[in-house]
Amino acid sequence: MSATIEVPIDSNYVIEVKGIVKGFPGVRALDHVDFGLRRGELRGLVGKNGAGKSTLVNVLTGVYPADAGEILVQGRLVTNWDTTTATRHGIQCVHQHVQLVPPLTIAENIFCGDLPTSRSRLVDWDRVYREADTRLRQLGLQIDVRRKVEGLTVAERQIIEIAKALFAEAQVIVLDEATAPLPKNEVQMLFSFVRQQRARGVAFVYISHYLEEIFALCDTVTVMRDGRNIADRQVSDLTQPELIRLISGTQLDTFTRQRPAEAGQPVLAINQLERQGAYSSVDLVLRRGEIIGLTGLEGSGKDALARALFGLEPLGDGDVRLDGKAYHAQDPRDALDQGVAYLPRDRHGYGIIGIRPVRENVTLPILRRLRTALGLIAGKRERHVVGEYIDKLRIKTPTQEQPVEYLSGGNQQKVVFAKLSSTNPKVLLLDEPTQGVDVQAKLEILKIVDQLAHEGSAVIVIAEDIRELLDISDRIIVMFEGKIVHEFEVGDPGTTVERILSAVEGTPVNA
Amino acid sequence: MKIDRSRAIQFLLDNLVWILLLLTLLAFSLLTPRFLTVGNLTNILVHSTVLGIMVIGQSFTLLTGNFDLSAESTLGLAAIIGAFLLVPAGEPNFGAGLQLSPLLVVPIMFAVGLAVGWINGLFITRLKMNNFIVTLAMLIILRGLTMVITEGRTITGLPETFKALGAASMGVVPISIVVVGLAFLAASLVTRSTRFGRDLYAVGGNRNAALASGINPDRRIRHVYLISGLLAAFAGWIMLGRLGVGATRMGEGMIFEIQAAAVIGGISLFGGRGTMVGALGGVLLLSTIDSGLNLLRVSGFAINMIRGLIILFAMLIDAQKARYRAPVANSTYVTPAVRQTS
Repeated sequence: MSATIEVPIDSNYVIEVKGIVKGFPGVRALDHVDFGLRRGELRGLVGKNGAGKSTLVNVLTGVYPADAGEILVQGRLVTNWDTTTATRHGIQCVHQHVQLVPPLTIAENIFCGDLPTSRSRLVDWDRVYREADTRLRQLGLQIDVRRKVEGLTVAERQIIEIAKALFAEAQVIVLDEATAPLPKNEVQMLFSFVRQQRARGVAFVYISHYLEEIFALCDTVTVMRDGRNIADRQVSDLTQPELIRLISGTQLDTFTRQRPAEAGQPVLAINQLERQGAYSSVDLVLRRGEIIGLTGLEGSGKDALARALFGLEPLGDGDVRLDGKAYHAQDPRDALDQGVAYLPRDRHGYGIIGIRPVRENVTLPILRRLRTALGLIAGKRERHVVGEYIDKLRIKTPTQEQPVEYLSGGNQQKVVFAKLSSTNPKVLLLDEPTQGVDVQAKLEILKIVDQLAHEGSAVIVIAEDIRELLDISDRIIVMFEGKIVHEFEVGDPGTTVERILSAVEGTPVNA
Repeated sequence: MKIDRSRAIQFLLDNLVWILLLLTLLAFSLLTPRFLTVGNLTNILVHSTVLGIMVIGQSFTLLTGNFDLSAESTLGLAAIIGAFLLVPAGEPNFGAGLQLSPLLVVPIMFAVGLAVGWINGLFITRLKMNNFIVTLAMLIILRGLTMVITEGRTITGLPETFKALGAASMGVVPISIVVVGLAFLAASLVTRSTRFGRDLYAVGGNRNAALASGINPDRRIRHVYLISGLLAAFAGWIMLGRLGVGATRMGEGMIFEIQAAAVIGGISLFGGRGTMVGALGGVLLLSTIDSGLNLLRVSGFAINMIRGLIILFAMLIDAQKARYRAPVANSTYVTPAVRQTS
């Protein structure tokens, strides 16, 4: 085991906090936390959901006042720390949920609140676009700044947001799970960009559940658990299993998928499916008990295919059969009734109803089955069903009546899983099922997926994390520009991360 | 365990309407001896009936995150069409001269309410128009239509059988109070314990998630506008009975009171939150304040001002609720008591 970094108590910390305590109703979110950042440092901040990472960031950026503790900037104590003070001292945060104004152009968003004006006090639009373009180019980004943000993909929006934070002379930038929703190729772009800025003395705090990214990007890492800073380490002194152990506090079991002994009956058969601008000549057979991994870049057609099968988008032309019968879903209800369930990528947008209790979220698609003769919902039976799922999926919630938004990300996702499984689906379409959940929850979710397959569902897992797909699936199918370009059998010697990645990028994979 | 300040505040905010109602009752009882009498309390309930029915209808739309500003005009139009068809033409009744039976007129009034709701729903869901603007336009159009029908005159001579709902009593208890009480009971049951009710909360809470859970949000929104229209027509019937005549301005300006009652009662303007029982509390509170101020001989102008203040107060409460919820919602970790799993 490596020693903690020697911490010289001097002013070469850009920002340092000492003995920070912060409590919320029923929890002590931060328990005497010390945390310091040097100029140009790339610091990873990891921990399970609820370990205190977000709270620490919120204290650093002045969103929450600390109950106790000191905040020092360049070695000098600063009192009355709030968002204004934090910004003045160059502390900026890029949040997981992008905060841009969708109907405005990229350029307007970049200059939001500070549009350059001409001498006549009117907005100098020429300059707005020219400067926005120049600034973005300096960051290595080539994008039409006159485009409206609402027309951008989530990935593009996130990049603009990060760029915007960098324009505002920041000393410390917190990237709050910034790469979670970004596709692989753009993650690389972000990382090289971050390194470039660091060379100029900007310090970064990088919060992520993707530990590979911590190892790829950061110099040092802070591990939080139960509201405490339990380790500040050099990344080079750590291995990934060691880091996982620090995060969870216990030895984590690993997950290996138990493939079914024999191939099940075909459940879903897709033949020459095509939709203009989304996908074409898609052939796919999905068997009972099987888990197929589906991957590809943004816009490769993988998400569109899942959404179309679930009736959220038009399916297009071609032959799709479910248990031998022609299949087509008018809308999600239609899909659910025929036995096709879908876990959306965007949990907050399409997955949970945050303000409603766990109980109502779980039973939403099956209320028809829970009705008594009078048409009322059988309360006792409903609570029983929900209770079973809470136990089975180990959903951590104080009661069934807890609004889902108060649960951790992993538990929110489990609520969505409970909702899907309650419909007893024949086909499960899971779009990025482990996005935004911590290491421990990720493992539990993979186990749930495996279990559902063993119970007889045929599963398609859509993910960009190849390692995760290798863990969970039996076959991995790669889509590129709307077509299936390669299929990998998991367990074959030729099925390697590198080969799958090159298929994802669209380079031909030799046999 | 030590008392948790923010949870206590949350509890107070959630049940504020009943606390306020108690305080108001207490205050008026001390201020005037004429307040706490059986007669006056019954009077308050009777005054609550029309507002109550309207608040039920509005709450249905609000739960899905939609307004129905046209409700008061729907009330007026249905009532006037009803009155118009019931009484003779010319002086002094100013009816259509058809003198239809109430057994026919009541269904026609309901059909008017449903038609308005259907049109609102059509514009909002099929044509994707903004609910606020659609119902605002409808509010103005329907009031105008009502005036066109009556030419500004008051329709009189309504049959007693028709007026019974709003005017008659069963023994000492006015029929309307019983009916509206039952309506709240039914609305509460529907919202709490039926699939339809759950769907409404889901649509208001997160429309896309509701869609992905197999609910057709647009269909549910069309349904709540039908309900709102139907209930507005029903309220129109009660009001005709109470007033005894059909006036062009029936229901005019009521929408503010409706919204205020719903919001004070805990129905969120953003959808997905609130209960019918809470909404009932809001109705009773507003009626009590109105009645108390009247007994204290506060001038009508001042009462109007006070109503405005009440609406402001309702919004203040709504905003505070959001504030006290926020810190918990922002922190991602809150699992105070982990459920034991075997």
